[in-house]
Amino acid sequence: MNLNKLAWRNIWRRKRRTLITAFSIGFGVMLAVTFTGSGDYTYTNMIDTGASMGMGHVTVEPVGYHLKPTLDKRLHGVEMLREKIVALEGVSDATVRITGQAMFASARKSVGGAFIAVDPAFESEENNLLIRSIVEGSVFSDRAGRGIVIGSRLAKKLQVKIGKKVVYTTTDAEGEIVSNIARVTGIFTTGENTIDGIMALLPIASVQKTLSYAPDEATVIAVVIKDQRHAEGMRDKVAALPEAEAADVLTWKESQPDLAAVIAFDKAGNYISQLLVGLLIAVGILNTMLMSVLERTREFGVMMAVGMSPKVLFKLVMVESFWLSIVGLILGIIITTPWYYFLYNYGIDFSGAFGTDFSYGGVLVDPVFKARLFKESMMAILGTLFMLALLAGLYPAWRAGRVPPVESLKTI
Amino acid sequence: MNKNEHIVQMQSVIKTYRQGKVDVHAVNGVSLAIENGDFAVLCGPSGSGKTSILNLIGGLDVPSSGRVWVDGVDLSTLDSTQLSSVRKDRIGFVFQAYNLIPVMTAYENAEFVLNLQGVSEAESRERVMATLKAVGLEGLEHRRPDEMSGGQQQRVAIARAIVTRPAIVLADEPTANVDSHTAESLLDLMQQLNREQGITFLFSTHDQHVIDRARRIITIHDGKIESDEIQA
Repeated sequence: MNLNKLAWRNIWRRKRRTLITAFSIGFGVMLAVTFTGSGDYTYTNMIDTGASMGMGHVTVEPVGYHLKPTLDKRLHGVEMLREKIVALEGVSDATVRITGQAMFASARKSVGGAFIAVDPAFESEENNLLIRSIVEGSVFSDRAGRGIVIGSRLAKKLQVKIGKKVVYTTTDAEGEIVSNIARVTGIFTTGENTIDGIMALLPIASVQKTLSYAPDEATVIAVVIKDQRHAEGMRDKVAALPEAEAADVLTWKESQPDLAAVIAFDKAGNYISQLLVGLLIAVGILNTMLMSVLERTREFGVMMAVGMSPKVLFKLVMVESFWLSIVGLILGIIITTPWYYFLYNYGIDFSGAFGTDFSYGGVLVDPVFKARLFKESMMAILGTLFMLALLAGLYPAWRAGRVPPVESLKTI
Repeated sequence: MNKNEHIVQMQSVIKTYRQGKVDVHAVNGVSLAIENGDFAVLCGPSGSGKTSILNLIGGLDVPSSGRVWVDGVDLSTLDSTQLSSVRKDRIGFVFQAYNLIPVMTAYENAEFVLNLQGVSEAESRERVMATLKAVGLEGLEHRRPDEMSGGQQQRVAIARAIVTRPAIVLADEPTANVDSHTAESLLDLMQQLNREQGITFLFSTHDQHVIDRARRIITIHDGKIESDEIQA
């Protein structure tokens, strides 16, 4: 009989104990999938939402712009660069934008804010959160027209409605104060008060003209990619384009450091709590294996007496830990699959408790607790729990081969 | 005396155990030689040192001083892994409490040591089946220990001990846990194996049935050899 077969039979000597330990591993899988899956879903959501708020997953901008965003810094030949970027594998969309500070004034009030000048032909609900969040009117259709879409809180401050005039004043490429007039075509409500209170969308050609920019000049190319986890790779690909030579290419982590910090902090907390759960499971396995070893001391003595070496005995107990881990992981997959299916498709709606406008790290967070587990996260969960289970088996395995056979045989 | 002429040789062996603050000499200067094909017993009262001597010969314990040779190998020079190897290849053990592995069948218990030796599956099968037949367990190969009587379990233990064709079988009180009828049949079996296959047996016992069957009786008292007689 080989070691595998013997180890397999040994773990079923005490069925109840083995099943309890296996279920604790399985429960660990369920917890880890829930928390990691929720993290994968929420972080992706936050990053994608952050990307659709203006800067994309990868941002191409003038050198030094993100440190000091003044409108005298600008990219040239943006249309050609945009086309090159869109042709790259993994890019879902790329839009040319001008971002800047402005003073908005109505007939009654003046309010400081910020604008994103966009080409309506390339902007949609998919890649632009502000368009997605329009609650009144619609986005302007003419890139050279006089439309403006403003946040609901900004509209309230300015006391304007759809069709009303708003004057925006900013500094142009030469540092001169310039202004233009626009008529409100839409009002958005993202739920994030800061955004709703200061942001406005303007037609890009009008803004280029106002700022004395050439038609192929802008401050930002926002690149949206298919999978946010590949932002670093995409940054390198874009930076390698000859047209991007005189530009800064940043990932969302660099262009939105606050969001990156919030996610990193949250992830760290998540990892620590998962590690604690993992350690609790490991202690359970350690206990099971140690009990199993201690109650077989005499048997191990017999095995050593008939010629089994301490090394092979160590291996036997480790193989038992291996099988126990495998059984636990399989049970974990069985009990987690329906739970994950529920979280993936339906989730738990917390909007009753937190409302629908819950924001974290400056971006909106879905109040429905859902899970989307990346393949590598699943592998990491199974791999980590498997390794923890094997590590927990090390001491009992070492202990098994340590007792001299003559002592083991004395035990009852 | 040439060490290679004997399966076992002990030379001035002392084994001292520490019990609290007192040193107890379980084996006190024993010199002994067991010949190939012998059927010998170590007898004496409880605590006389019989099992300690058996453990030293079996490489389960190491002497405090003196030397032990088994099949020409000096055990005092070996580490725990090498001792395991000697036990696996040269020594068979039969214990008082059978000590079979409960999750294994009779066949698998007997096969276990051959697996450790790396014997091929086909050869293992042939040897195990022949050995189980020799110990009278033909047809019971697939029974687990809890499905067999004490006598049958001890037969499996004997099969496990002899299947590797060891230089010597060390049997520690092999009849202590079985009734007298079973004890007689086990002794018949071991005597037959000794006679027909030339397997050397060394018993530790105070069972008169075993002593009566032995060719050589070594009496131990207070860790020393009190007498060493050959029976006619």
